[in-house]
Amino acid sequence: MKCHDARRYWDLYHDSEGDADLHFQLNEHLDNCVECAEWFHKQSRLESLVKERLTANAGEGATAVDWSRILNGAGVTPVRRARSWKMFGSLLTALAAGILLMIGLFGGFSLDGSPNLAHLSAEVHQHVSAGSLRPEFESESDIDVDRYLVNRVPFPVRCPPRKDSGFAVRGAGMCQLSNQSAAYVVGSVDHQPVSIFVLPKESLNEFPELRLILQREPMTACREGNSEMVLSVFDKNLILVIGNIDRTKLTRVLKSYGTYPHSA
Amino acid sequence: MNPADHTKAERFVAHLEPLQRQLSVYCARALNQRDESEDVLQSAVANAFRDFDKYSEGTNFKARMYRYVTLEILNRNRASSRLAVPSGSLEPAHEPALHIDSFRLETLLDAPEIVLDHCDEVVAICVRQLTELERKILLLRAVGDFKYREIAEILDVPIGTVMGLLSRARNQLRNGLLDYAHENGLLRKGDTA
Repeated sequence: MKCHDARRYWDLYHDSEGDADLHFQLNEHLDNCVECAEWFHKQSRLESLVKERLTANAGEGATAVDWSRILNGAGVTPVRRARSWKMFGSLLTALAAGILLMIGLFGGFSLDGSPNLAHLSAEVHQHVSAGSLRPEFESESDIDVDRYLVNRVPFPVRCPPRKDSGFAVRGAGMCQLSNQSAAYVVGSVDHQPVSIFVLPKESLNEFPELRLILQREPMTACREGNSEMVLSVFDKNLILVIGNIDRTKLTRVLKSYGTYPHSA
Repeated sequence: MNPADHTKAERFVAHLEPLQRQLSVYCARALNQRDESEDVLQSAVANAFRDFDKYSEGTNFKARMYRYVTLEILNRNRASSRLAVPSGSLEPAHEPALHIDSFRLETLLDAPEIVLDHCDEVVAICVRQLTELERKILLLRAVGDFKYREIAEILDVPIGTVMGLLSRARNQLRNGLLDYAHENGLLRKGDTA
């Protein structure tokens, strides 16, 4: 692919659209062309800044909106919404709740007594890989999985961008990791099961050891049993990728979240 | 309100609450008359609530809600444009991408903050100068974070139109920023053509 051709596809690349083959070719070109890599980066940066302005400052017209009046006027009685964490809704998922509760109660603590996210997520990943825990929502479409997750957790969660075609999504769900709400996306890389856990960044307060590590280095990796894992903070989220495969492949999935302008 | 309606309202509000801010922003940006935001949102919410019985849990409530709001915006903008002087608001189906001065663009790309920190209102004005369809596509992508396919479904246009007009809208927005920066001396001397 030539520079001119690559740059024509910047919109698709930035928006994680287009087919996997296109992203593969673009990534290949960007790996070998410093000028284009820098150009793509600058374009995305400008677009993110414009987006920031568009979403943050809508002016008086947006800030003056009174939603309780809108709801009243529309005939919807405003009700106080106590947002509780509804984890599971079926018999199958109730079983999953039991498994996760057991993990939360009897496993996953560091020597100093604080919860160990690596251990907790590895346990969940093992159950998902072994088939003893099925994701609440099963689909091979990243769009459908994004749609499923969008209103179920109070923080932004998405599948990895499609350009990281190494990750084939299989499903998603929600769980509790030591009292912290987490969303998980399950799938595979090179036919090996890989799980992605997404938590709000604030949940690091529950895992002080990990918080200290991530203050020292932006991305960290470790091994838990047979599973490799890598984790980092992107924008508002803590993201952990785990699987029984080479760590560089997990890192690629993790890093792909950094290409989203604002949120995972 | 009977108990069934109350439950329906409770469920509806639970779905709507996380979207309220972005819907407000989308509406304010997409309307020709920003002071109509509340009326438009109220009509859209009323219609969405009326049809909420047809909504199946697990499907895309966000896209559904955006569709109602977009429809109301379209109606409202049509009404307001009938009163206004006709402008170039006809929807281009597949216009070629705008020419953008690559030399000046480089300067913007090198230090976008210098320009954007002065240009909050300019961004808003440039967005309002887009054609209605371009504006909606740009906002659905930027504010709603929708995929191209979802935008095409919400606006009922082919996905190719979404791709073409999004690219064009982005270029037009950049041209607007560059013009403003040039006129106000925000670009470094000697960088402009």
